[in-house]
Amino acid sequence: MSLDDATRQKITDLIAENRVLLFMKGDRSAPQCGFSARVIEILEGYGAPYETLDVLSNPDVREGIKDYSSWPTIPQLYVGGEFIGGCDIITEMHGAGELFEPLGVEPPPAINPEIHLTTEAAEALGQAVAQSGGPDQHLHLSISQNFQSTLSMAPQSPMDVVVETSGVTLMVDRLSAARANGVTISLVETQDGRGFKVDNPNAPQVQTMSVQALKELIDSGGPFELLDVRTPEEYETARLEQAQLVDQRLFERLQTLPRDTRLVFICHHGPRGVQAGEQFLSMGFTDVHNVTGGLHAWSQEIDPSVPQY
Amino acid sequence: MPIQIAGPGGALEVQAALDEAVSQAMPEAEVEVTAAGPGHFELRVTSTAFAGKTRVRQQQLVYGAIAHLMSGPNAPVHAIDRLECIIPKSASKAESR
Repeated sequence: MSLDDATRQKITDLIAENRVLLFMKGDRSAPQCGFSARVIEILEGYGAPYETLDVLSNPDVREGIKDYSSWPTIPQLYVGGEFIGGCDIITEMHGAGELFEPLGVEPPPAINPEIHLTTEAAEALGQAVAQSGGPDQHLHLSISQNFQSTLSMAPQSPMDVVVETSGVTLMVDRLSAARANGVTISLVETQDGRGFKVDNPNAPQVQTMSVQALKELIDSGGPFELLDVRTPEEYETARLEQAQLVDQRLFERLQTLPRDTRLVFICHHGPRGVQAGEQFLSMGFTDVHNVTGGLHAWSQEIDPSVPQY
Repeated sequence: MPIQIAGPGGALEVQAALDEAVSQAMPEAEVEVTAAGPGHFELRVTSTAFAGKTRVRQQQLVYGAIAHLMSGPNAPVHAIDRLECIIPKSASKAESR
């Protein structure tokens, strides 16, 4: 039907070349449909590398993959050349703890996180549960790979850790539990009315790196990405030879890296590097550094042959 | 209840086409089709062919059989809102998810 030999070969090659491949609408930073967005959210939680293919910009694959997989909807997840499922199945497998193995991620131990509620938050959560809870609806706290927290009502999953705190029962999935120890939930006034605020001491920060430490890191040849976040003009004027200018193409490559890759940002004096670092933290990267004093400090303290400007 | 329209392209005709497509690919299957809105249908298929298969593989069998009704811009079937794959009691000892 709509699956010609060329398209079949193209899909076969794609799933052979990419161990974990999600056929989706849009890409991971801008999913174009709710189902694709949901699967991206789940995959990001595991922090394991995966690739995506945008069917909207590949119309042949968009129709072809449906016949190829005998599956009528997008998104579709392939692991190791095998069709795993669409949005519903992936959501279900995630809840049942069945995605760790295909994604090659060690399941975190079922630790019991300590979670604090302020008196007001405990009261408000208690009311929410009284209103919309039930035998099959429990209060869940989930914390994504980039430490965004969500409170929701959902059925209990076999992999959930159950936390009793201030008279409130919270279900926390294992990935979230590993990120939840020491969390405080409070009630705050916002522009849109009262809302819950989750303070998480485990959320990573942009770490500072001195120019001396950067020199040692470069000399040691250790694996890391040195990323220059200045303008192309500044990069032409003066740069570290190991530094890569972050342009659109590099940005796209960085998005596909394992989230524990060490990223070191450098700019002229420091502030732009911190901003860029925070952006990558929000994308789920955990080992993010900024060079204090930037290229200016490098030129002053390490290598005067790098021009100052 | 959605309004069922008889005649070419109507829900009843598409229902029959779905039934026939599944029955042809899976001759031993028992098929129930329900219209759930324009272009939307629900399927309940009972077959020994599902035994020993994961839920994905079971659904792939059915989706594979009706693919021609779901492809192309003017596909009569826009979506299967609900697809139940049931293993008859006699064969349900085999492992399934």
